Amino acid sequence: MADSIPTTALLHSSTLITQGAEAKVYRTSLHPGGAPVLLKHRFSKRYRHSTLDASLTRARVVGEARALLRCLRCGVSVPGLRFVDAANGVLGIEWVNGRSVRFLLGSGDEGEEADGNEDGVVADEELLAEYGVSKEALMKMVGTEIAKMHLADIVHGDLTTSNMMLRHPSSISDLPQGMQQLLLIDFGLAYTSSLTEDKAVDLYVLERAFASTHPDSSPLFGRVLEGYKEKMGKEWTAIGRRLEEGKLVACPHGQVDS
Amino acid sequence: MESFAYPHFSSTVHVALFVHVTNAAKLKARIVRASTLEGTEGQVEREAVNFAFVDARLVTSVLHIQTAITQALLAAAQNTLRTKTVHSEVIWALNPSNNITEALRRYGVSDDTTALLVIRIDPLNPSGVKSRMSAAVEGTQVPMSQLASLTDWVSVKKYNKLNVDPVIREAQNNPAREHHLIDNIVVSLVAMKSVAA
Repeated sequence: MADSIPTTALLHSSTLITQGAEAKVYRTSLHPGGAPVLLKHRFSKRYRHSTLDASLTRARVVGEARALLRCLRCGVSVPGLRFVDAANGVLGIEWVNGRSVRFLLGSGDEGEEADGNEDGVVADEELLAEYGVSKEALMKMVGTEIAKMHLADIVHGDLTTSNMMLRHPSSISDLPQGMQQLLLIDFGLAYTSSLTEDKAVDLYVLERAFASTHPDSSPLFGRVLEGYKEKMGKEWTAIGRRLEEGKLVACPHGQVDS
Repeated sequence: MESFAYPHFSSTVHVALFVHVTNAAKLKARIVRASTLEGTEGQVEREAVNFAFVDARLVTSVLHIQTAITQALLAAAQNTLRTKTVHSEVIWALNPSNNITEALRRYGVSDDTTALLVIRIDPLNPSGVKSRMSAAVEGTQVPMSQLASLTDWVSVKKYNKLNVDPVIREAQNNPAREHHLIDNIVVSLVAMKSVAA
């Protein structure tokens, strides 16, 4: 006899991949013989009142699903939706065979302490060669994808190099020509906004994430901005100005990386 | 006919694809009549057409119909069905609006339907499903892999309101890419139907 709650039974039959503060991530197959799917389970938080917890969990699953659909319709490269059970806090999305940008830049995956000298982490040049891109090209792709998202008035809310993935070349050959290799993921904090301020903050968050995760990040982030500028066109002027102003407020003593 | 086991839903789902269907109008009339028949005769007749009949031209992939089936199974298990049966829920899940009549008219069997997906969802996994499908539908059963060649992409785009989407307009000149993108969007639409804006 299977578990009485189908989604719980489904989670029990899945493989746990990783756990964060908000959710557990599993790999499973929804249909017999079907493609693998990633399940993101926002488990209940005992420290919250149960009623509040249920409504918050539901609202976040719904928000993430809607943001992903909006991205798909606007041509932002994101994984597709495969399963939604908002009542139980479970979101099923397309499995992407690839690596996070953070990993590809040689800083390991989130959770594992990365150190270029340790044996565990492969030299990033080798990794990038396996994926068939240069570091510069990768950074430009990141900038272009973020620009596409901002042009669709979607603000990610948590841009880090962990929340971007590059498909492995072996899984691209199954896709039709012209499909994006880079994907943005984790839209749990995303919202829609057309405000310059919100988009500039999105970029600022990413810049800080670069600075704290990757050594010598300044030229890397510069490449990201180049790709971003190119795609944004004339909308860049206002966002760029806002980004500069924001840095001055955050670091008034001129400690901003050039 | 193909059978998919969903152990976590304690269900087995049987799906068959029919082409060259010649009795669509009669089948539709029969389903409507069965719903109002009384007594034992009504029960027998309802069991004979106890399937989801889906217009195969509007289904873009096996994953598309499987996604509709799992969301319908989930709604049934949680007592949140929007329609009367799990079979009609599959058809409702495929249509982007909340209008049940519209869903049945577009995605169900209509007078000029020639390709049908016939689906039976049953926890008891009854025997003889295949012969009862063949008894209800006059047509040729073909492998599910033929589904892709039957898709009417123009109608799919229209019903899912994809013609205004920038990504679809941009991919117009590359059919393989366009179809891949459309499939990903419609599968996502079905998956999130229960929480759609």
